[in-house]
Amino acid sequence: MALPVSADVSPATPVRSVSARHFVRLKLRVMGNNFRGQGWRIAMFIGGALLGLWFAAAGFFLFAAPGLAGNGRYAVLIAAAGGGLLVVGWLLLPLVFFGVDETLDPARFALLPLPRRTLVTGLFVAALISVPVLAVLIASSGLVLTAWSLGGWSAGLFAVVGVLAGILLCVAASRAVTSAFATMLRSRRVRDLAAVLLAVTAALIGPLQVFGLAALREADWTRMTGVATVIGWTPLGAPWTVGIDVAQGRVWAAPVKLLITVVALGALLAWWSRSLESAMVGAASAGKAPVRRGVTGGAVAQLFPRVAGWARRDRFGALVAREARYWWRDARRRANLITIAVVGIFVPVLINVTGGDFAAMNDEGLTAATSDSSPVVVTISMLFVGVLAAVTLANQFGFDGSAYAANVVAGVPGRVELRARMTAFSLYVLPMLGVVAVVLSLLLSRPGWIGLTIGALVATYGAGLAVNSLVSVLGAYSLPETSNPFAMNSGAGLAKGLLTLLAMLASAVAAVPMVVAAALLGDAWLWLALPVGAAYGLGAALLGAYLAGDVLDRRLPELLATVTPRR
Amino acid sequence: MTVEHPALALRGLAKRFDGTVAVAGVDLDVPAGSFYGLLGPNGAGKTTTLSMAVGLLRPDAGSAWVLGHDVWQDPVTAKRLLGVMPDGVRLFDRLTGAELLAYNGLLRGMDPAVVDQRAAELLDVLALGDAGRTLVVDYSAGMKKKIGLACALLHGPRVLVLDEPFEAVDPVSAALIRDILTRYAAGGGTVVFSSHVMEVVERLCSHVAILAGGTIKRVGTIDEVRGGRSLEQVFVEVVGGRTATGEELSWLSQ
Repeated sequence: MALPVSADVSPATPVRSVSARHFVRLKLRVMGNNFRGQGWRIAMFIGGALLGLWFAAAGFFLFAAPGLAGNGRYAVLIAAAGGGLLVVGWLLLPLVFFGVDETLDPARFALLPLPRRTLVTGLFVAALISVPVLAVLIASSGLVLTAWSLGGWSAGLFAVVGVLAGILLCVAASRAVTSAFATMLRSRRVRDLAAVLLAVTAALIGPLQVFGLAALREADWTRMTGVATVIGWTPLGAPWTVGIDVAQGRVWAAPVKLLITVVALGALLAWWSRSLESAMVGAASAGKAPVRRGVTGGAVAQLFPRVAGWARRDRFGALVAREARYWWRDARRRANLITIAVVGIFVPVLINVTGGDFAAMNDEGLTAATSDSSPVVVTISMLFVGVLAAVTLANQFGFDGSAYAANVVAGVPGRVELRARMTAFSLYVLPMLGVVAVVLSLLLSRPGWIGLTIGALVATYGAGLAVNSLVSVLGAYSLPETSNPFAMNSGAGLAKGLLTLLAMLASAVAAVPMVVAAALLGDAWLWLALPVGAAYGLGAALLGAYLAGDVLDRRLPELLATVTPRR
Repeated sequence: MTVEHPALALRGLAKRFDGTVAVAGVDLDVPAGSFYGLLGPNGAGKTTTLSMAVGLLRPDAGSAWVLGHDVWQDPVTAKRLLGVMPDGVRLFDRLTGAELLAYNGLLRGMDPAVVDQRAAELLDVLALGDAGRTLVVDYSAGMKKKIGLACALLHGPRVLVLDEPFEAVDPVSAALIRDILTRYAAGGGTVVFSSHVMEVVERLCSHVAILAGGTIKRVGTIDEVRGGRSLEQVFVEVVGGRTATGEELSWLSQ
């Protein structure tokens, strides 16, 4: 068999060269195979496409508005600001919400002898085949309509070129940034940190939107147009304003702006091409964290964090200590804690303090608009916070994944397990709820209501723990074993979201007595709320652990199977 | 001592996943004090069988006893006698090695002082003491196997069930694991482990069972199963693998 190894080892030249066409066909094939025999996946896809089209239509009319109205005054503003938002959205949204479309994962091509140029063009063209790109295309064609109706066919033609270049820019920017991130995020430590930052950003989007809308009402439109003109000269806005510029007689600006776009596009592709290589190689090595030293005390002393130091050194204590460590060390759980903290402060403040009237807030500051709030409104807003905090545990076993096998093997009784999990979570959440109650009472300048707020919070939270521990035993689902805390198993989202919603609803219903009491009992309730609420919450949580623990004992292996991710 | 009871007894264990049969009725008696190797190709049902034997996966039919205690009727007693290292299952890997051991020890209801002492010894013997405050998630594959083994050994089980203990382990760690297991068996413990590494099984085991397609194909002491040949020959013959290629891949020789 063994032949002499000849000096001529140059590989055979490929018969056919690889082009972008192959990547497009590969992507379509992978997408198609994903659908095979999976009715719900097709349904999800169609649903997503319809949603995309709906947004696309809305965007189209926004962009086309100046043209349809025949008024060019705000055309630059809409084109530059809207287009700029599109680009920024393409940059950030995949990181925060949707995850990147990894139908064609660059790492899979690492072993193929492909020139980098072929790979980059191929992946780039394949990335263009997607619903969001189609949606942006439809939306931004509104700009073409505007340019055409304001400046005739030549302006329309320039707008077409500009819009197409803009879409290429969006996709290139998104790919380049995520690829660079992938390289950066190879170390677990950086990844955890980034995850937390993203969680903060995501949690802040809601409140920021509200403040943004309030600011818009007061905005000075002339000044905004000035800003928009400046944005129009950056890569963010350049491609989108080309058509408008021609329509409004600034023909010289069009080639310059197109040049800006092309240069930016080229730079992004070059950046992507550079980070692509490390992303391809990076999948092979996970990187190594530095060895942390400084061990003190025995193994048991190391297990118990200071926050759980009071716990007995037994089974319950070990569970509490491990859970307490996990709420801090597991990026996915920490992201949830941060969401509770941010939303828990903002929502009640928005409901109670602003009373829906942002003008008052702008003019007189936060403390001025206090008079609307009543004990009932406060209790209801606290209900929301308590429910939100407790619903984090709705898939508490999913956080553990297959690691939960350790508890199954050790045969931990269900009641101990659930009580310990509630306790460890409460170590973090109860102080947060306390802060929420104090801050809200101070903002309302009604320190006397602290008892009312804490009582309502604890009662709802306890009832929520009870409901969610049952949900977590019966409706657990597996989370993908990635380090991205936002990763969801695609498709599972809808049904699980529904379950979460039901859990929240049930928790809220369980806490309704607190609202009724607040409405009926008047001032006496301000004093009674704290002890009654605390007793109600504690009792509900213990009852929940008792009942759900029984169920858990009977389905340990089934629960383990449902939280173990399929490979 | 319950000498008359086998360390592990399986009767008619069966499991289907989505219509495909993973395990089709496995009967097995593991004598107390034996070193038992469960051999089989990939997908033979080794992990499924062991998971059902230790209470991690509910069987569709059949039962399992650990030293005479039914795993599915009396799980508390059975699980107390068992030390388990599952394969393809994560540990609570956001803990350090010492924390993980402490967690498992306390979860088994052990005395904290004993946990401290045994954890220190295990970390030392398994050469994991240097890892210090490194989280288990950052351990190498071999280190993860070793800490998994330490978790299984910590409470001094009578029966040790290990799924693929030598998979993805470097020779040095493998030798260490082998030594520890040999000492454990010599001290009266029973070891059951799955593997597809013939050399290890031939070297360590007193008894062997070959599992393929969800059923036991050969079972007995290692000499009975070998019958004068090498274990690999028997294994390939039983599993029905293809041993020679003819002209098909002629282009491989340039």
